[in-house]
Parts: sequence; structure tokens; C-alpha cells
Amino acid sequence: MMNFKGYTGNILDIDLSNNKIKTQKEKFEDLKKFIGGMGINCLLAAERLKPQLDPFSPENPIIIGTGPLVGTIMPGSSRTTGITKFPASGAIANVCGGMSFGFQLKQAGYDHLIISGRLEKPSYLMITNNQIELVEAKDLWGKDIIFTTDFMWKNYKDCGVIAIGQAGENKVYGALTLIDKTSTFGRGGLGAVMGSKNLKAIVVRGSNGIEIAYPKEFRVKYQTFIERIRNYPQRESWIELGMLRSLPVGMILNAKGEKRKARQCNDRNYLKMIKKRRFACPTCPMADKDILEIREGEFNGLINYTSSVINPFLMLTSDCLKSYSEAIKIYDLISRYGLDSLTMTSLVDIISKMVKKDELSNEDLGFEWKEDFSSFKKLIGLITYKEGIGDIIAKGWANVKQVDDNFEEEKLTVKGLDVVFEPRFLKLGTMEFEQVVNPKGAHVASGGSPTYVGAGGGLGKMKSHFDRMGIPRNAHERIFKPPKAEMFINVGRLTRYSEDWYTVLTSLGLCARAQMNRFYSLDLVTEFYNLITGFESSREELILAAERSWNLLKILNVNEGFSRKDDRFPNNWFKPLKYGENNLELYDFYGNVQITPKIANQLLDDYYDERGWDTATGIPLKSKLQELDLMKYLF
Amino acid sequence: MIEEMSNKKINITAENCVGCRICQLTCSFLYTKTFNPSKARIKISEVYGLVPIIEFSDDCVYCGECANNCLYGALELIEGGNDEF
Repeated sequence: MMNFKGYTGNILDIDLSNNKIKTQKEKFEDLKKFIGGMGINCLLAAERLKPQLDPFSPENPIIIGTGPLVGTIMPGSSRTTGITKFPASGAIANVCGGMSFGFQLKQAGYDHLIISGRLEKPSYLMITNNQIELVEAKDLWGKDIIFTTDFMWKNYKDCGVIAIGQAGENKVYGALTLIDKTSTFGRGGLGAVMGSKNLKAIVVRGSNGIEIAYPKEFRVKYQTFIERIRNYPQRESWIELGMLRSLPVGMILNAKGEKRKARQCNDRNYLKMIKKRRFACPTCPMADKDILEIREGEFNGLINYTSSVINPFLMLTSDCLKSYSEAIKIYDLISRYGLDSLTMTSLVDIISKMVKKDELSNEDLGFEWKEDFSSFKKLIGLITYKEGIGDIIAKGWANVKQVDDNFEEEKLTVKGLDVVFEPRFLKLGTMEFEQVVNPKGAHVASGGSPTYVGAGGGLGKMKSHFDRMGIPRNAHERIFKPPKAEMFINVGRLTRYSEDWYTVLTSLGLCARAQMNRFYSLDLVTEFYNLITGFESSREELILAAERSWNLLKILNVNEGFSRKDDRFPNNWFKPLKYGENNLELYDFYGNVQITPKIANQLLDDYYDERGWDTATGIPLKSKLQELDLMKYLF
Repeated sequence: MIEEMSNKKINITAENCVGCRICQLTCSFLYTKTFNPSKARIKISEVYGLVPIIEFSDDCVYCGECANNCLYGALELIEGGNDEF
């Protein structure tokens, strides 16, 4: 058996129903074909996840993974990835988060964790190196995520924690988990799947250490690389402002005509009134996690951990919330319960609109809708505990039609997940397009590079990003050939390569956020990967492994019945969006061409074509699956 | 707070620590050839507390590599006398 460096080589396999715990060894050829992290997760899902399972059945496994770079000092190498069948969309989907869980899992001696079955009594899983325990959690069941995580940190000190709140316990379809009470992990129902297994938390701490193949050469290369990051001119402002630097929420609120709210979200107010402390995932040189503190008014003294202040700030787009302190308070409650702040904000927005149009009455809702903080709070409580209208909403967007047919008109969802980025405001970049084609439903992260660098950089900058991400030169011509010349780039074709680059990073265990990912190139990550593992992989092999992993994720969902019919632009995207005094329409990334249904369909055709998939069905062609050695996984 | 040995000292500003652990990984890699915070001679507790607690173990020789690699100004290597402190 080969001794993998960088990797631990171990997969921890736990059957909760029978309390069976075993460790299996990874195979060298699997690592070469799927790298690790997200890629190996897809392979394990293909081996373990039978098609057409009920997401809440004990057989639905939760697979959590880390990459070969996690646990080392590689900058930004702390990604935790997961895969399961999700209740909100019925899709088998990849999820990704930060903080210390993956780092600790590697230190404990495991690359991946498979959890199947169902516990008889609510418990949490405690992993300390090779000691694995299921500990009854009767005093934690019914408690929120923050309470649970603090409990673990108090009792086990230095550990990584994935925990669910009451929404997960009650199997609310969209319930997510938080890693270290900060990083959202599993939007679309991972929390509910854990709840269905009576699994309150997964806790891990390790002290085994990670060896690498070429320590001397690595050290030299690392020092040069980290100095480059240290000397990045904008580093200081990134660390001062965090994600607020990348998405000035004030601009969004100003466009809505909410000048007072916009002022509350500006840099000055954030730094003076809200920011308590900056903190980071392990090995991150661009720390961007926020500890927030409210220092005035009714919620004075409230402390909230979040992956970014923009999460509560974006909630101020809701007419129910009047101040930043109300937004942070509601965000804190949502985090405690384990709900999703984006979903709750868009739900409240729809309800407000429908109440105003007399399409929804207080009687329908079961309480008086005042369009304020108390209404918002009441609604999330009802959803979490599945009471009244909350019981209907808790079963997902597909179910809310029961409340009123008009919900169907208002909702903006893809495959049962509400959209994250509104392209009528932000234009149709790869992140916005990704929401249509991602197997999970509306999901943006994997569509990241490079359009989030902004249109201002021009096409020259775009080309340098293409090279960085390893897009083959022979694809450039196709990417620069959009349906209409004034669009400059074809986001359909480009999205394929954004997904592949994301998959490389997420399989290695590297952060895909713009401020970190900008320092990496395919050449550089290949070099570090080889120094750490001792493999002699080429950049082409890494990109091919990413393509293989993405195709495998796709066919797992083809086996669930998904096809082109589900990759649907929401109808409302083709209608004007009233936003303050503005009527916003769907335009291409450069804002030159209005996107019609015909152009949208052409972009979808181009995406499938670039992937080597059937444009009529959106399903990988046999020739592509044969090329990637994946035919055996298609049922 | 200042930790010192012979003519080298490490000045700790715990408020600046973000919990990235780069110091611990640098230390363990240098002395054990593995990335292993539990083997590092710099100890951090309450990594995600409001202010982390940073200490050095008895076998720390104050080589200063942790400080040289700290990216956030939480550790600073001071060489020479300690009059100014």
C-alpha cells in the first residue's frame, strides 16, 4: 500500500443505526482521478447513494471531505466539503464551508467521513484521533447552534464543530448547519438530513499532524508565495473591511431608495459601530470572518459570529427591518435556528408584496402581518417549529403553492432553491448563470471566477484570468463568441470553466473566495499539490479530474431525473424588476444586450455544448462519459 | 505581554490574532517536519474567543520563526535589550 503524503489515506465510515465504525483506505488511482475533497466526495456518493432515495431515509449518507492540502500551512487551505441528497431540491449536491472542521478532521487522521443510518436517541459524534464516540445529546436537543457550539468548545477545547439548530432537528427542508457557529454549510437542507438522523453535531479534534513529500522544496516555494500575499497592496483594506469590500451593500440599498439604511451599512458605520473582531479560517492570510457587536439600543451587547457582515446587511433589503441592529438580531436568530438568511429574506419580501396586493390575508398567515421586525421574527419562529403557515413553508418552496397560487408567480427559484444573486441588478455573469445550471439549484459559488472581478477590468484582464484558471487557449475563441457581439463574452461557455476551476480548488481544499483565489493559478496549485503529495500530476490531469468530478455530480442527478427542463431561467427574470424608482431588466454581463428567452436558451445550448453534453436534454453524451470513464455510474 | 529568552523576545498583541494558526504550523513544521499545532511550541487557546490566549511552552527557544511568519501583527520578534519595555 502506498503511503500518501498530504493525504491521510483514511475514510471514516460510520453506520449510526448499528453503531458500526470502520476505517477504509483510499486508493491511489481514485485520488489521481478525483483528487480529494469535492471530487472524492462525488465518487463516494456514486458508490454509496442509491438513486431515488428519500433524503430523510437512514440510507441517505452524509459525506464530508477535505482535500490533500488541508491541514498543511498552504494559504487558504481549510475547506470542508459535503455531499448528500438534499430535501429542498431533491438533488444530490455539493456544499462547501470554511472554519476549522476540515483542518481538524485531517489532523485527526481522516480525509473523508461517511455517516449513514439513524440514531435511536439524539446524540453527537465525537472524533478524537482514533477514538470515535456517539454521545447522547438529550441536554442539547432543542438548543440552538450557538449554544451547542459553545458547549463543545467549553468541554472539548480546541475542536471543529458542525452543528444543527432547532430547524434541523425539526427537518425544515432548507435547514443548514454552521461550522464553528460561523460558516454556513449545507444550504438546502444538510441540517435537516442531520436532524433526520438524530445527529445534533459532529465534533472533531486531532493531533496526528500532516507530513508532506518534499519539505525543503515546499518551504522555499511557500515563503515566496506568502510574501507575495503579504505584500499585496490591497491586503490591508481587505482585512479591515472583509467581504464588505467586495459587495458594497450600501449601493444595493441606495438603488432601492433606502438612503438611511445604506448609510448604516457604509464602511464607517461598520468599523465604528459594529465590527468587534476580525478572525480567520486556519491558514488564511486574508482574514474575512466577522465578530459583530451591537453597542446601542434594544439589542445592546449582542455578539454575533458570521462569515461576513454582508449577510445581515443584505437582510436590510427587507422592508420589515429598519436598522442594522434589527438586521443583526434577526440574523442571529436565523443562525441559532439553523435557517438560511437569504431564503428567509426573499420569503418575507414575497409575503410583504402579496399582503400589499391583497393576495394574502392575515387569516392565511395566521397572524397579523405588520411588515416589521416582529412579523419577521414571528415568521421564522413558525417555520422553525413548523407551526401554522410555518409548517407549509418548512416543506420547501414547491409546497408553498398550498398557501396561495400567487406564490408561484412571485417566487424566484431554480430546482426548488431560491436564487441568491439577482441578475437584473447585478447583470448576467457566470455566478448568476451558474444558478440556472448548477445541479443543486440556485447556487453561485461554483460560478465564481472570473466575472466577479468586474467588468471594469476589460477583456485583457479577463484573458489573464482565463489563463490563470487553466482555460485551454482553443476555448478562448468560443468564449469570446457570444450570441450577440456586443455581449463580448459567452457566459454559458465560460461557466463550464468556472465550475472546473472551482472543482480543482474545492477538491484540493483551497478557498474559492475572490480575495484568496486571485493568488492561485492552475500551474501554481499543481506545483504545490505535487510538492505536498509526492505525486507527479500535470495541470491537465488536475483539470481533467475536475471535469470528471463535475460530470459525475451531474449524472448522479440525471439518475434522479434531472435534465434540461430543470435548468430553467425563472420567468420573472424576463420581466422588469421594480427596485425603488428603478425598473431593472435582465442584461448581459457588460450591460449592452437585453437577455431574451431566446438568448438565454442559446447560452444554455452553449453551456451544454462546451461541456460535451446533449444540448436537447442537458445530459452528458455517452462519448463524454466514456472519455471520462464514468459510464458505469449512469443508470 | 513579553516572552523572552537570552537576548530575544516575542511581543504578543493577542487582540491582533485572527486564529489562523500559521504560527503553530510554522513552528511544528520547523521542529518536527510535520504540520501539527499540538506539537507547536506556541500554544493558542480560545482561538475563536473574543481575545485568544497565546503562550509559549517550556521548550520554546524563541527562535522567532512564528513571529516572522505572523501576518497580522500579533507576534513581533524583538532582538537586543529590553529597556524600552
